[in-house]
Amino acid sequence: MQETFDVIVVGGGHAGSEAALAAARMGAETLLVTQNIETLGQMSCNPAIGGIGKSHLVREIDALGGVMAEAADAAGIHFRVLNARKGPAVRATRAQTDRQLYKQFIRARLENQPRLRIFQQSVDDLVVEGDRVVGVVTQMQQRFMARSVILTVGTFLGGIIHVGLNQQSGGRAGDSASNRLADRLRELPFAVGRLKTGTPPRVDARSVDFSTLTPQPGDQPTPKMSFWSADGCHPEQVPCYITHTTEKTHDIIRAGLDRSPLYSGVIDGIGPRYCPSIEDKIVRFADKTAHQIFIEPEGLNTHELYPNGISTSLPYDVQVELLRSIPGFESAHITRPGYAIEYDYFEPKELKSSLETKHLNGLFFAGQINGTTGYEEAGAQGILAGINAVLQARGDPAWSPARSEAYIGVLVDDLITLGTLEPYRMFTSRAEYRLILRQDNADQRLCAAARTFGLLSDEQFEAFEQKQEAIESLKGEMKSALVFAGNAAVDAVLSEPMHKEYRLSELIKRPEVNLPDLLKAAGRPLPESEVIEQVEIEFKYQGYIDRQTQEISRLKAQQGLAIPLDLDYSSISGLSNEVRQKLAQVKPENIGQAGRISGVTPAAVSLLLVHLKRKGGLTKRAAAI
Amino acid sequence: MLRASLKTHPEPSTSDALATIVAEATPSGHAGISVVRLSGASALTIAQGVAGRISKPRHAYFRSLKTASGRVFDQGVVLYFQAPNSFTGEDVVEFQGHGGPIVVSTLIQTCVEMGAKMARPGEFSERAFLNDKMDLVQLEGVADLIASASEQAAKSALGSLTGVFSKAVNALVTSVIELRIYIEASIDFPEEEIDFLAEPFVLERITRIDAQLQQILKQAEQGRRLQAGFSIALVGSPNAGKSSVLNRFSGQDSAIVTAIPGTTRDVIREQLLLDGYPIQIADTAGIREAMDAIEQEGIARSRQTALMADLCLWIIDVTALDLTPLNLCRSVLEQNLIAAQAGLFEDDATVKRLVVLNKMDLLPETMQRALSDLLAGDSHTFLVSAKTGLGWDHLASGIKQMVGVGDDSESLFSARTRHIVALTEAAQYLTQAKKSLLAGLPGELMAEDLKQVQIALGEITGQVTSDDLLGKIFSSFCIGK
Repeated sequence: MQETFDVIVVGGGHAGSEAALAAARMGAETLLVTQNIETLGQMSCNPAIGGIGKSHLVREIDALGGVMAEAADAAGIHFRVLNARKGPAVRATRAQTDRQLYKQFIRARLENQPRLRIFQQSVDDLVVEGDRVVGVVTQMQQRFMARSVILTVGTFLGGIIHVGLNQQSGGRAGDSASNRLADRLRELPFAVGRLKTGTPPRVDARSVDFSTLTPQPGDQPTPKMSFWSADGCHPEQVPCYITHTTEKTHDIIRAGLDRSPLYSGVIDGIGPRYCPSIEDKIVRFADKTAHQIFIEPEGLNTHELYPNGISTSLPYDVQVELLRSIPGFESAHITRPGYAIEYDYFEPKELKSSLETKHLNGLFFAGQINGTTGYEEAGAQGILAGINAVLQARGDPAWSPARSEAYIGVLVDDLITLGTLEPYRMFTSRAEYRLILRQDNADQRLCAAARTFGLLSDEQFEAFEQKQEAIESLKGEMKSALVFAGNAAVDAVLSEPMHKEYRLSELIKRPEVNLPDLLKAAGRPLPESEVIEQVEIEFKYQGYIDRQTQEISRLKAQQGLAIPLDLDYSSISGLSNEVRQKLAQVKPENIGQAGRISGVTPAAVSLLLVHLKRKGGLTKRAAAI
Repeated sequence: MLRASLKTHPEPSTSDALATIVAEATPSGHAGISVVRLSGASALTIAQGVAGRISKPRHAYFRSLKTASGRVFDQGVVLYFQAPNSFTGEDVVEFQGHGGPIVVSTLIQTCVEMGAKMARPGEFSERAFLNDKMDLVQLEGVADLIASASEQAAKSALGSLTGVFSKAVNALVTSVIELRIYIEASIDFPEEEIDFLAEPFVLERITRIDAQLQQILKQAEQGRRLQAGFSIALVGSPNAGKSSVLNRFSGQDSAIVTAIPGTTRDVIREQLLLDGYPIQIADTAGIREAMDAIEQEGIARSRQTALMADLCLWIIDVTALDLTPLNLCRSVLEQNLIAAQAGLFEDDATVKRLVVLNKMDLLPETMQRALSDLLAGDSHTFLVSAKTGLGWDHLASGIKQMVGVGDDSESLFSARTRHIVALTEAAQYLTQAKKSLLAGLPGELMAEDLKQVQIALGEITGQVTSDDLLGKIFSSFCIGK
């Protein structure tokens, strides 16, 4: 018996869930194959969604009809807005979630999605015909056929778990690694690397003395992550806590370094610099006398805590000792030891912007397999791979947002153009058009595309359109409405009274003025807060936004010019060998991407343009910037 | 399966959306008339800002050329070529003005202030090519032109940053990067106890960077006005024949040439033209262990002059070298040269120099031939006689190569204009950053302005990528919960 699907997704984590849901929503018959149905939507690392750069991705996934933001709202037990005063573009939302609630929400969404079927079994092999993947083979030799296959296998490929000098095969504590598939993929022409990540020991809250910890309550009113969540979507809210390591902690760690797999050369994989283990922090920043630890509750119905900031692979006895040297943790009981995990990833330069591999047609990679870290980065790739797997199966052109359109575009373009040597995480400083890629306008940037693909319901799109109309109408009113000198109510919100008449659109540009106050003073009705927020930002940031928009449209014309994938770079005269090699490795899809490859100069790009023109291969295409 | 129809994006047209570019179209340095070309959609608007109303294509307007602030700096002929009937196929305006480097540079800067970008080397040809304005034969040359011109430009962009100026620009870039490390870290890692956005520290840093930048701009502008061209310093030990070299350049006895070491105590400057390109040559006191105070002062000035110059000619008395036909080989010669140069520039590798082995006429002919053979293909060491003129043409062309005179590629002079344009742009963004900080605007706006400062300076020193910046953040702060 052999069943055929449009799309098969291997893996049910954050990338796999978004991929499978997106494919099925677009109308594709979809199969999600997972090792264990109980771990669908599992948060393997800390129980939080969002944060700087990351909530930007979550909002984009949300605007594309993805599940992550709604799950975070339904499972969020502590919300904070970060960078509140630094401006709307770098403002971010972070939710601490109840792991169980999160998982339940994802699983329910998957199980109730029409056209999506779930199957529990390990995938051991791919079915390859020529240069095309046409299906998968499971552990019990069951074959499933499909037009496209998406691998979202996380840290499971050749996963090795380290605690002290002990090591064992595993994809996550308690789950086995996918070694057969890893071996099989190593036989295919992909470039493989090793990365490393880790988690801290989990602790029983009943053994912690909270009286010495600094509580950190969530924000009030509780922010929402999703554009679509209704008010009152959140469960009960609880505080987090803060404590610090001590000199004694650092001494204990130093004494244990000889049994650290990181410092005894056992681990080859490269860990993230922005999320170092506690032993790494103590070695690299020896003069720091204390490191902050953020105590996150694991959920409403469990005593487990996640002490964020002391990820470690030191031996268990050292973990106990170091933990107990931390204020509040003097008699702490560890429920799960911390560990480091090494796993395979594939060189993302070998991917197209659709996340399809260049070596095998119909095969897509998303998530940690591409060298990224983080649920949000995984989810973003998952939804993109899901969309493109369907487009590919239908024979439609691929889609990927430009760098100027979405953080998803920045993420994918960075990966496929520059590759990565450490687990890749999103930061706002990676986005050159940061001021226009805000979490508040992700819907404006992506809902129209999502609608075309069939990812949004009628109700969702209607709500979106209504919001846009309200924004346009408020903007229009503000551009026409005049306020006259001597208007005391309006003068009261200004630092200097008016000496002549002004439009509201002019007054709002004064730094001291905020829109709700101005509208109230001018006796105008207040629309809903999301509408006010958009209009306020658009007016106040107009100069900056106009500049970036102009730059984008100027670059688009030239950078969108497509380059054939099979271009022979050795035939281009004038290029240095180094540049030739770099271009041949990445095989950029357009002139813009070529120019972003490190070491490719503007002159090299000119030569490429001239060459393409000479060959008559220059075709215009509005694409990734 | 459902089939959603894909929304098609409108295709932008190439020529409308590209930046309007400006550059000198005639090789720089040639006296008389020079042509500055402006190409792109805003060419006409910008040209009207400089020269007043222009409407008729292919009509010669004689006009006063004004800066953005309205100061008249030149008079010349202005020609408008309407797209597609122009060199590049875009709207083009050509200014034919007086050939002086300052006039040309002022015109280019004015156009940049009004919205143009300085053209990359070969960019006019590239556009002409892409807009089908060149035939197949011309096409073949375009790739070569781009390759060679940009290589030369990269060389002179760095090359013109000599000595003191280069150090100042690099120090400025370092300050900007340091500030951005803090700003970007406080944005991307707000919980790491590095929230500097609100601190007076930032204002203090911006103010300091601003002062640094204004100082450099002033120096760069002054340097350009004073020198109005390329500066060469003659250095070497006493009596190596520096003054004879100067006289050979200028063709008159401006320095006192005697056989007594240490005759030239002060720095003597000479303005002259090399193929129409203005060059200032400074003759300096000989470098040696000087005993008397006046001479010591003279030597200190020599050192300063040498550090400020675009190029140093290190004059060496070839007869004083320990060369016999028996030990005449490359390594011995090099050792000799290193020994002869010791003392002045050991601590400064940024000084560009050519070695001139003078007084070759005093060598036996066999030795002259042997040395010439040894130096064949060496573009940095020259064997000459300033007295008789032997080997002089070779040296002159070596210097011209360093200057980029008469070459189709970007000259050092336009590289310098490029620097001033970049510094001016950086200064504008810095002012903006300071303004938004003082107005209490959200920190992300200041961060954006500082990024633009960095990008503008990157035109001189190379760009810093976001990954570079993140790397510096990770090595400066202990990031990560």
